[in-house]
Amino acid sequence: MKDMKMLEARNISKRFGGLMALEDVNISVAQGEIVGLIGANGAGKTTLFNVISGTYAPTSGRILFKGREITGMRPHEICRRGLVRTFQVVKPFRNMTVLRNVMAGKLFGKDRVKNLEYAREEALKILEFVGLAQKAHVLARGLGLADHKRLELARSLAADPELLLLDEALAGLTPTETVEAMEIVRKIHEKLQITILMVEHVMKAVTGLCSRIVVLHYGRKIAEGTPKEIAENPEVVEAYLGESIEA
Amino acid sequence: MAKRAALYGFLALILALLCLVPAFASDYVVSLFLDLLMWIALTESWIILSGYTGYISLGHSAFFGLGAYFMAMTWTHIPYALGVLSGGLVCLAFAFAIGFPFLRVRGPYFVILTLGLSEFTKYLFINLEIKLGGTVGRILMMTPGLETLYYSVLIVGTGATITAYFVKNSRFGIGLFSIKEEEDAANSLGINTSIYKWLAFGISAFFPGMVGAILALRRSYIDPYTVFSPAVSFQVIVMAFLGGFEDVEGALLGAVVLTLVSEALWAQYPYYYMIILGAIVIFIVKFMPLGVLHPIKQRLLKEPQ
Repeated sequence: MKDMKMLEARNISKRFGGLMALEDVNISVAQGEIVGLIGANGAGKTTLFNVISGTYAPTSGRILFKGREITGMRPHEICRRGLVRTFQVVKPFRNMTVLRNVMAGKLFGKDRVKNLEYAREEALKILEFVGLAQKAHVLARGLGLADHKRLELARSLAADPELLLLDEALAGLTPTETVEAMEIVRKIHEKLQITILMVEHVMKAVTGLCSRIVVLHYGRKIAEGTPKEIAENPEVVEAYLGESIEA
Repeated sequence: MAKRAALYGFLALILALLCLVPAFASDYVVSLFLDLLMWIALTESWIILSGYTGYISLGHSAFFGLGAYFMAMTWTHIPYALGVLSGGLVCLAFAFAIGFPFLRVRGPYFVILTLGLSEFTKYLFINLEIKLGGTVGRILMMTPGLETLYYSVLIVGTGATITAYFVKNSRFGIGLFSIKEEEDAANSLGINTSIYKWLAFGISAFFPGMVGAILALRRSYIDPYTVFSPAVSFQVIVMAFLGGFEDVEGALLGAVVLTLVSEALWAQYPYYYMIILGAIVIFIVKFMPLGVLHPIKQRLLKEPQ
């Protein structure tokens, strides 16, 4: 079962009026992988996430999750099947406590827990896991960016994903915070056995965490391979306007 | 826990006292309490949608009027209690029928749409009544006594308050609050946002329907201009706002305070009534945007963690 395809997006195109945001993109993630999705701003990474997680329907193409068609399903249906996303711009429930935020994931995600007390206990465990337990009773709006990112992770984990889509979970963090957050992502992968597809700009994180990288450029997939192969791919280097990809 | 038990005891005592009001008080006082309970029912039901999900509705007067007209059209044909209940159910059904398209729009657009709903129902009934009877008003005869009406509103008001309380502290309530905070994130987290909003809209419409049905009999004369008056919706919003929007105690306090203040001002300064009321509201909005209760609540009602 190790090779089972967790996610398969086939020939995905997404058009917004005259703009082709995604053009015939194929991407697949096997169970147990961490796959990185990189590309310059406007390359279509977040659009691809939105299409996979059901926020937008693709203009054409199909999406299969654990071998089942999920194309055109609404976000909550996709979430309940075990495909959960985070948001690049964090979207916490600001006027709810950190604990309640995470409880919401437990109550409405894949488990669909009906008992509030049980959801509360489980949520506390997850907060412990991401290192946010001591702030459980703080209102989410009172958190700093690093904690917001942790909360976003905790809330998604509470929904009990098999595949987690991380949209720039590390963006904007200080170097120390980045290392800590990378550690959490690694723990999510290793301890919780969750497959991950991550959009990331922090190259150190992508090369450090991912076994495979997919590169988008102007809505098309231009490369795919191990971190080393990607770093040496001339087309990728050019797409990044000559910037060294190790930077 | 002891605190909670004391609170429940206190609420039970208040309810018991309310039951005794008609036995001891004058008709004036009973009428005043009837008014009070009516506004409590309207405000508590309003927060179930608007306080909890953030979809600010001006549609309460549409449901109020619909309930009133339902009662006016069926009065003497069906029993009183059935009429009241059906008035609520008609509104519930109506809200469910229009809910999906309505709740697709957010923010100010939803506010305007629901205002439009009130106006639409008003003119619909004006035209309908002219077609049916050639005139717009309806006089209701042989209406139940003040006491019966009082107890009916007491039941509906208590029902709305209890419903608002249980919704807030339930799984459903957490879903509604998530929608208010970040609808897209809520949806991505497994909440069927369309269904949740739709249910809240329906529940929220059920109570004003019943209140309208009872109040039609209380007034014994109704016309579309008064029962569909947007003033009903506005007053409800102001009450919810006074108390602080998103909880049961706030709505309760807002309804009580504003009804009593209105009554006092109305009696003392009939000409300056609206001006004084407006000034008070502006003051509160400006200086206590989270409601009069908020600072006190922060201290007293902090959730025991």
